[in-house]
Amino acid sequence: MADIAFHGDPAVKAQAQERLHRHVAAGTFVYFPAWENGNANVIGAVVEADDTPLYAQTLGYPVALAETLPKFVNDGFGEREDAAIFAEAWLARTPVGADLSRIVSQLVVELLDDVELVETIGVHPDLEHCRAEIVDLHRRALAGEMPDRKAWKALRLKAVAATDAVGDAPLDRQAGNVVEAAAWPGTMRTVLRDTLTARSSFGLTRALAEVGWTMEKEGQVFRIREKAEKDGYKAEFSGLERLLAILDADHPALAAGFRTRLERMGQSSEQCRAVAWRAIELMETAPIVASVPSPASVEA
Amino acid sequence: MRNATEQDFDDIVMKNDKPVLVDFWAPWCAPCKALAPTLDELAEEYADEMEIVKVDIDANPKLAERFEVRGIPLLLIVKEGAETARAFGTMSRSRLDAFVDAHIGAE
Repeated sequence: MADIAFHGDPAVKAQAQERLHRHVAAGTFVYFPAWENGNANVIGAVVEADDTPLYAQTLGYPVALAETLPKFVNDGFGEREDAAIFAEAWLARTPVGADLSRIVSQLVVELLDDVELVETIGVHPDLEHCRAEIVDLHRRALAGEMPDRKAWKALRLKAVAATDAVGDAPLDRQAGNVVEAAAWPGTMRTVLRDTLTARSSFGLTRALAEVGWTMEKEGQVFRIREKAEKDGYKAEFSGLERLLAILDADHPALAAGFRTRLERMGQSSEQCRAVAWRAIELMETAPIVASVPSPASVEA
Repeated sequence: MRNATEQDFDDIVMKNDKPVLVDFWAPWCAPCKALAPTLDELAEEYADEMEIVKVDIDANPKLAERFEVRGIPLLLIVKEGAETARAFGTMSRSRLDAFVDAHIGAE
């Protein structure tokens, strides 16, 4: 059964949960790679292979949702413990027999209807028109229609052209990238992952622009770090701590801006996390269309 | 999707009746890996119009040299035995589709 959670079979769910939990408990649950030397990510732990389509097929998740799952985990949860909690909740809170076929388009529509995105796109009528039309196609698909391939393609090419016409401002172009990425049916394997990636880039650029963090400042920090590594400066520290120690000592104004940048990047991760939990909420409320008779009723 | 080697590249790509999208990649290249599912779908989408052929540049360094591959992923479009377009680096699914559409076209 395509896109029916666990194919309606509680045993499929139980096995997936058991396999994942085994890796979490053993400390072999990792972000990357998917399946190597006994370590496994959210996909590999369940199917014991680096094979996302197999995960989707085995558990009944839409392939576009399965394709996005590692991104939810990797980008949304910086601590491995939190990532494991989410990964286990993903399986635990997906009801057996839930019809998951609408989830991808539902999430894509929510990403396209995002207030910040709509505000940025609003000043570019052609692009806004594309955004609205793409939302409409996804809504038609959610209502049970099957917009044909040509309709998606025409809209996609229109979105690419509209993005090219918005000029060179990074934020406008990134907003266009979100629209372009969403111009595929929910059955397309990478549509949700790509739309979320584009939305995250847009959100981060917008957040950094709001606090006045520019590419020049980013480059300046990069060069300071490179030079310190070469000269062995502040070598008593390591990683981010070292960089902050250098900035605090020699570039206090830049240090303050860099800390704000870090905060904003953290907030960007929060957005991804919010979409990840939202996916679970949608799965929890999806209609149940299949169930397997209990052993007692089979015997009867 | 077929894999081509130095031995069979000319037969598979240069003498192909259909236009061919050649994907130069390597096993260690993360962006190439990220592009793979997109190419899988593109192969289905354009099955009637073109063929997608992969070339592992580690295993086939002479092909990388022949086509002056300076970085990967590199996508080449070959029509009637001649390169007609190339695109380097990561590209969104929609941009890739537009690139193929512009050079191959599909109903």
